[in-house]
Amino acid sequence: MRAPAAQLAITGVLLILGFLVVVQLRAQSAGSALDARSTEELTTLVANLNTRNDQLRAEVARLETNLAGVVADRQTGRSSVDKLAADVARIRAWAGIDAVTGSGIRVSVRGPLGATGASELLNELRNAGAEAVAVEGVRLVPGVALSGDPGSVLIGGVPLDDPFEISAIGRSEVLSGSLSRVGGILAQLAATDPDVVITVIPLERMTMPASSRSLVPVHGTPAL
Amino acid sequence: MSALAPRIRAIPSWQITLGAALLVLGFLVATQFRAEEPRVRYTTQARGPLVATVLELQERQDALKARILALNEAIAGELSGGKGDATLIAQLTDQMEDARLAAGLVAVEGPGLVLQIEDADGPAPPGTAGADLRVSGRDIRIVVDQLWLARAEAIAVNGERIVGPTAVLEVGGSILVNSAYLTPPYQIAAIGETGLYERLTAEEGFARFLNDRAGGAGIRVSVAEPDTVLVPAYAGSVVLRYGRPEGDG
Repeated sequence: MRAPAAQLAITGVLLILGFLVVVQLRAQSAGSALDARSTEELTTLVANLNTRNDQLRAEVARLETNLAGVVADRQTGRSSVDKLAADVARIRAWAGIDAVTGSGIRVSVRGPLGATGASELLNELRNAGAEAVAVEGVRLVPGVALSGDPGSVLIGGVPLDDPFEISAIGRSEVLSGSLSRVGGILAQLAATDPDVVITVIPLERMTMPASSRSLVPVHGTPAL
Repeated sequence: MSALAPRIRAIPSWQITLGAALLVLGFLVATQFRAEEPRVRYTTQARGPLVATVLELQERQDALKARILALNEAIAGELSGGKGDATLIAQLTDQMEDARLAAGLVAVEGPGLVLQIEDADGPAPPGTAGADLRVSGRDIRIVVDQLWLARAEAIAVNGERIVGPTAVLEVGGSILVNSAYLTPPYQIAAIGETGLYERLTAEEGFARFLNDRAGGAGIRVSVAEPDTVLVPAYAGSVVLRYGRPEGDG
């Protein structure tokens, strides 16, 4: 029979051993991918991560305030119906289940732009902070994608006319600035698709329709 | 020599186990220490601190996301057990659960597939530039779009849930999804009705991607179809700053 002290010692050493193996593997896989990046690329990466972390910190602060308010309401016996209804409305609008109204830009695309080019345009709008995007009235939600070659592009299976319009809700100057910056997506498309004409108009108010799709997974179930 | 054998046999087995574990531990510590040396050299060239900063910021981001998920759960729990008209609260709680599920704020599991995409590992084929051998942001976007077209219900790239506002960004050769830095290889997990892989390979765009990027440039694409695929929840801001629900105020 081994002494309990010996078993404890072995357990401790094995725990440290396991920890070190994981640390080593993680450091090697992440570090080696970054080691190949230039200083400029790493600096841009740091800036992106910093911006995102600031947004997440703001979200944590908002949620902590929200939680404190909800707990206080419960303790004082105040109704939580209004808060709950407001939260449901906020998430439904964000997800695309309900229509949303706000300021943003309208992008008009004229000419033979294929699905890949149009997808790049949409990705740039999302990267610039678009909160809701629709193409010819079809709200972009998970499950909706563009397909087809120039002149026969479909969104969600519906053919797009020429010209077609993209609407995006967000800070209009940031959205349009991101598209039209030097070397940005409009400049890239002008080089690869010279027959395509894209115009951007800021709008103070627009309404984005709700998605016509059911967004609740049918084959996926909540993971416990 | 004959006196040594009984002494070795007399050593308790736990001491041998402990000795072997300590030997491996020492080896790993030494390996770790040696592996750090090139990074120390990079430090003098200003790249080392940047690499360390990226990793540190990503770690902080992961912690913030975990906090957001926990806070969301706590708020949902508090609200559903709150005061007020019980029937109305029950209805709103159901609506909240559906909305969170639809919005990608809840982790889901189900049938599907996991695609793994990796940089090419061989020499560049004739007429191919070095950058073509790396998995790009566009590659990830194409595969995600093709999975949606194949009727996937939920998708995550290296654990980052694809939701409405998700952008797939490339900074230099690094890929960011939801502004999270992803470490290759890239694993795209998708949930969908049985036959998702067959539908995906039937998509013209995916066939073109395989032909151009896997066949042409040598990007490595592999697929697994486990019994259950897990797609984590989106952890980020769910706030409209420039928009609001229609009819609200």
